[in-house]
Amino acid sequence: MSTMAEDGFASNKRDPVKSSVGGVASQKRRQHAVAVRKERRESLVRAKRLCRVGSSGDDADTPLNNAMMVDEEESVLDAQAAAAVEELKSAVANQGKGAMQKVVGALRELRRVLSRTEFPPIEAALEAGAMPLLVHCLAFGSPDEQLLEAAWCLTNIAAGKPEETKALVPALPLLIAHLGEKSSSPVAEQCAWALGNVAGEGEELRNVLLSQGVLLPLARMMLPSKGSTVRTAAWALSNLIKGPDPKAATNLIRVDGILDAITRHLRKADEELATEVAWITVYLSALSNLATAMLVKSNVHELLLHRLATSTSLQLLIPLLRSLGNLVAGDSQTTSAIFMPGQEITDNIIGVLTKCLKSEHRVLKKEAAWVLSNVAAGSVEHKQLIYKSEAVIPLLLHLLSTAAFDVRKEVAYTIGNLCVAAASEQDSGRLSLILDHLVSLVEKGCLPGFIDLIRSADTEAAKLGLQFMEMVLRGMPNGEGPKLVEREDGIEAMERFQFHENEDLRNMANGLVDRYFGEDYGLDR
Amino acid sequence: MAMMVLDVDPKADSGFPCWNPVRRRFAPESPFFESGNIERELLAKQIALDLGEEEKHQLWRLLDEDCKDLFCPIVGCRARLTSLENFENHYNSQHAAACSVCYKVYPTSRLLSIHISEAHDSFFQAKVARGYPMYECLVEGCGLKFKSYKSRQRHLVDKHNFPSSYDFFKNKAAHHPSKKAREKKIHRKQAATAHKREEVEEEEGTTNQEMDVEGETSVDSLTSALSNLTTGSTPSSVSFGRRNPRGLTFVPRSVHQRNTKKPEDSTPPP
Repeated sequence: MSTMAEDGFASNKRDPVKSSVGGVASQKRRQHAVAVRKERRESLVRAKRLCRVGSSGDDADTPLNNAMMVDEEESVLDAQAAAAVEELKSAVANQGKGAMQKVVGALRELRRVLSRTEFPPIEAALEAGAMPLLVHCLAFGSPDEQLLEAAWCLTNIAAGKPEETKALVPALPLLIAHLGEKSSSPVAEQCAWALGNVAGEGEELRNVLLSQGVLLPLARMMLPSKGSTVRTAAWALSNLIKGPDPKAATNLIRVDGILDAITRHLRKADEELATEVAWITVYLSALSNLATAMLVKSNVHELLLHRLATSTSLQLLIPLLRSLGNLVAGDSQTTSAIFMPGQEITDNIIGVLTKCLKSEHRVLKKEAAWVLSNVAAGSVEHKQLIYKSEAVIPLLLHLLSTAAFDVRKEVAYTIGNLCVAAASEQDSGRLSLILDHLVSLVEKGCLPGFIDLIRSADTEAAKLGLQFMEMVLRGMPNGEGPKLVEREDGIEAMERFQFHENEDLRNMANGLVDRYFGEDYGLDR
Repeated sequence: MAMMVLDVDPKADSGFPCWNPVRRRFAPESPFFESGNIERELLAKQIALDLGEEEKHQLWRLLDEDCKDLFCPIVGCRARLTSLENFENHYNSQHAAACSVCYKVYPTSRLLSIHISEAHDSFFQAKVARGYPMYECLVEGCGLKFKSYKSRQRHLVDKHNFPSSYDFFKNKAAHHPSKKAREKKIHRKQAATAHKREEVEEEEGTTNQEMDVEGETSVDSLTSALSNLTTGSTPSSVSFGRRNPRGLTFVPRSVHQRNTKKPEDSTPPP
């Protein structure tokens, strides 16, 4: 059933776009291109994934990889989608000989149209009436091929805009049913993929799925040791439990065998599977106290550390690091369970974080600095361990002056946390400045970095800068503080807050200026 | 190893919120994790889309700009900032008008241009010497001009309710004699007797003292007067006409007393 357009698509080469006659038309094109680009960008970061190639790989059709589509191509695809749906309609209505084959053939054609490009003609297909037909094709007892093609179509429809994903609602219970252990593996996997896209749409749909009982069968698909099915199920689960309601996460950890599967995969699985499982631990550690406790009891933090130390895949490092970060940031029970064994584990954590800080990836640097700042917020012993570790301090100082803004902010938290200790509750919340650290870090040149933060437009960063400056002004011995601050243009930086709309920052800055640069300042110079 | 510590009450120091080291936790959908989440999806689609590193970086930059809804935090300014890095540029160009001659900074370009005319423009001084009313009223919209610094001062006090201690420009230049006047003075000194010299110096001395008296009083009242000039709420401490810190003079709420300085010394006019 090949059309002219299909022949044109057979090669990966494309004719250059023909510019239309007259400026108005080309301007319209440009505007359209800009709007289209914007939408593409948004779709790029959606938590849904298109299925372009079948897992069996026996499909002769090679999908195309064009990021930008031109008007003509879109309308051609739309027409193809409508035609395919029409074909499916008549095939389903047909009762005669070979009806089943005709249905499968029509489904396959629709699936191809929906898999050809990054932005399939979903709307056209839905408008032509694809959904009720696809639901029909999911009926129990249908041949595997039919179920597979139908689920594949639904997967790609669900990967579109929110309203397109929502169109799958009538199909959901059937998709869930086909996750069952009696289903063939490719069928179950394709259904899991479709459900993962639906779950990625938003909280409302997640709740619908959960109430329809998706969790148990999907979790069971994660128990085997390998296979693409395990990976797809893990990804779908991560979309399902991401909350903000912690119920799903808590229910997941309760499923028999899941905890074992998670730790097993973290320890042994290939990087692709480990990545999806690591995202599950991200959400478990962020949302569910029960899950966190159970994970820690199974020493998941050691697994995370080991994998962090040995892997180089950015895909994997991000969720590993974040899971670790969630554990470190947790309640005191969790953190004492992690840090209890002694300083070896703290050394390991610092080592792993140093590795991430040295990476060239912004996200890794930022989140590693965040985790380190939380370690530095711990006991004085923790601060000393960080401070003593050779590589860390020079690295932090370097990042404070050269890294991207969001990285610098987290590094600032770390450095500041190293300089002051929250005293125990008995002391009614008094704070102790750790002068050794403060003096040394200032001497090594960290002050300009903090003053830079004061100058930024970000309120939180400005507050950090001012708070650090206060420590310097108060704590540096021999009254050196004010001189140092002045030398680094700290006074000018504070003056910016004279007209600032934020009252807190205004008061903080003015308070410091009044107290440390008041009447008596400079008289003895 | 004994560690030097300095105990402090976190709420002391007149309410300054001291640095308190606490663990920070974020919900999974917190904006804090946004860039990591985006990276996850980009990486997943990277294979499908065949994005090169360069294209990915471009995307990052576009996403960065989209995500920020940043506005200038200065009262009354409605500028939208495209990134945190641009805030510095925006601030320096819009909110800090600096004199390129003496580096003093003013909060409005109008005040800056008045300063430049009165302090660095010899043409301005020439016209003043010839009796033209050159000293503009500082209140925007008033439009009146005056022949001397002092008469403008009086106008501000009488008509615009400025505090009498107000000395906006600390304009020592008003008392700084012109070259001709200086020459004349030297002439007179040479011709005069020691007795006359004393008289003249006394005169100068009182002028000095007057200036110092004006300079001594607090700039607090300045604030309330200036709030009529500024666009928003009253800042609690104000300093205008102060130089860029590289030149070190900063005037906080209470003003420096520079009793030791003579009018004709190396201090350049404001």
